[in-house]
Amino acid sequence: MSTRDQGVLRRAGEASVLVLVSLADGPKHGYALIQDVRQFAGVQLGPGTLYGALDRLERLGLVESLPADERRHPYRITAPGAEALRVHLDSLERVSAAGRLRLQLGGV
Amino acid sequence: MSAPEARGGRLVDATIRCYPARWRRRHGDEAAELAALLIRDGTPAASIAWSYLAGAAREWLVPRPGRSLSTVAAALLAAACLLGFSAALVAESGPAKAAGTTQPPSGQVVPKIKPTPPSAGSSSPHQFTSCRLVRPTQVTGAFDAAGHGRLSSQGTAHARSC
Repeated sequence: MSTRDQGVLRRAGEASVLVLVSLADGPKHGYALIQDVRQFAGVQLGPGTLYGALDRLERLGLVESLPADERRHPYRITAPGAEALRVHLDSLERVSAAGRLRLQLGGV
Repeated sequence: MSAPEARGGRLVDATIRCYPARWRRRHGDEAAELAALLIRDGTPAASIAWSYLAGAAREWLVPRPGRSLSTVAAALLAAACLLGFSAALVAESGPAKAAGTTQPPSGQVVPKIKPTPPSAGSSSPHQFTSCRLVRPTQVTGAFDAAGHGRLSSQGTAHARSC
């Protein structure tokens, strides 16, 4: 993955990351995505925000929609999407570790 | 479906119609069904509608490859908003002129108002800043030779002297 691709999720925004994390364990449709994100992150995604994130991720080739099940389209994370998520989570882990260490050293 | 749910559904449908046709063809049915499920769960229809409205605005305003017409429309919209804002500013300045802000004849210099120190017996802790109400005066604007705006009091409007 190129350096430019590594920052793709940082630019895509928090909602996109939450959607990718939710799709990491299997395909889901919109309603299931909103419920799942609320459960694991405590964030209530608005439907407009959700579809904005899904469109953005689809354009970037990080998710794909599966054939409609009645009126609902399930979405699935793609291989580049999984890789982008892995890179982003590694970066977050480094930031998190540095933050905790500095808080400890600072004695705040 | 109860009456409030039906009303909420209509509100959400109206906001979904704000999206571009391409988006509605792709997500329209699904978005309406998702909204119905969320309303049934107890999510306020107004918050769903607001979310879709914000999403629709983003869809129209964010430029995409191959969307030159929409970009032009967005630019026109922004220009119209700016023009409207400017017109509102001009309209607002009208009443100020009508209230009697006048410029002095050229060359007239209005003396600067200097703060007066408190009297010797004053117990005010704020030196030079004690304010007192004065009788109603007419406040008129003027510019001094250096181009600085000044206010002078002459008789009919309320004023405060500091």
